[in-house]
Amino acid sequence: MKEISFKNDVLPLKDKLFRLALRITSNREEAEDIVQDTLIKLWNQRDEWSAIQNMETYSMTVCRNLALDSLNKRERQNISLDETVHDQPDISRTQDEALIRQQQMDSIQAIIQQLPEKQRTIILLRDIEEKSYQEIADIMGVSLSDVKVNLFRARQTVKTKINKS
Amino acid sequence: MNYQYIEQLLERYWGCQTTLEEEQILRSFFKQEDVPNHLMQYAPFFALEAEEKYEKLGEDFDKRILAMTETENKTVEAKQVKLSTRLAPFFKAAAVVAVLLTISNIAERALQKNSASSTTVGVTDTYTKKEDITAKIKIIDHTQSEAMAKADSLKQAPAIHKEDMMLE
Repeated sequence: MKEISFKNDVLPLKDKLFRLALRITSNREEAEDIVQDTLIKLWNQRDEWSAIQNMETYSMTVCRNLALDSLNKRERQNISLDETVHDQPDISRTQDEALIRQQQMDSIQAIIQQLPEKQRTIILLRDIEEKSYQEIADIMGVSLSDVKVNLFRARQTVKTKINKS
Repeated sequence: MNYQYIEQLLERYWGCQTTLEEEQILRSFFKQEDVPNHLMQYAPFFALEAEEKYEKLGEDFDKRILAMTETENKTVEAKQVKLSTRLAPFFKAAAVVAVLLTISNIAERALQKNSASSTTVGVTDTYTKKEDITAKIKIIDHTQSEAMAKADSLKQAPAIHKEDMMLE
């Protein structure tokens, strides 16, 4: 089996892990801390790397769990959930084309952020990280049908909300 | 332009029936400028997904992580410096034992020589004393003039010898 190098095999996963943590927490600083914790955790487990079948899947699972922990902790402390949700489009501002586009993107972002965590994480893994259903199931530790059902619900919600707006 | 294919793909996308490749086609379609009006509302969604792909961590992140892991890395590398390093203490111990053995060997020989010479000295010392006695005896032997004196001297000699031995 190929020997895993932290610098060449684990560290380059950082942006994927960041996007995942960001999708779950909606907070850049928090997401960055989570990625750091994930990488340090992986580093400390380096004696067991040979037993890990797929480092990318494994690291994403670790990252998601840490992100969920962080989210739960924040919810327990009653801190406002989504900072970026507050950046909701303010249409009265200006009619500039680029800004309109930005506002549209922001409203889509808001739609996604309002989805349950499972659904918005599945959307990220499928559409942005381009993972197969099986890989998503492995990362999230859920069944294949669970992935499909949740992705279906997520896309239906997005479609409905886009057409309403 | 006929958008039937895209419309069809889009329907299958919402129904989760598209492959990863087909989903890529959709994203690149919505990336272009001239998206028809009736599909325009979906453009921001796909644009957002395409944009999020470029979401990245800052440049200094790597440095920070590597700094956190490299301090430990050095010890790991040292650990990996194979069997010879691992056995180094044993080699050292073996070398020390060898040196000690050599020293003890030399010391033993030196001591043997020493004790041999000291024995000689002891013997000489005794001899000196014995010589005294023998000398006395010889003198007495030579003088053998009077039988009484001879007998007295012979009685005195062992007495002196005994005293010497006790002093020793």
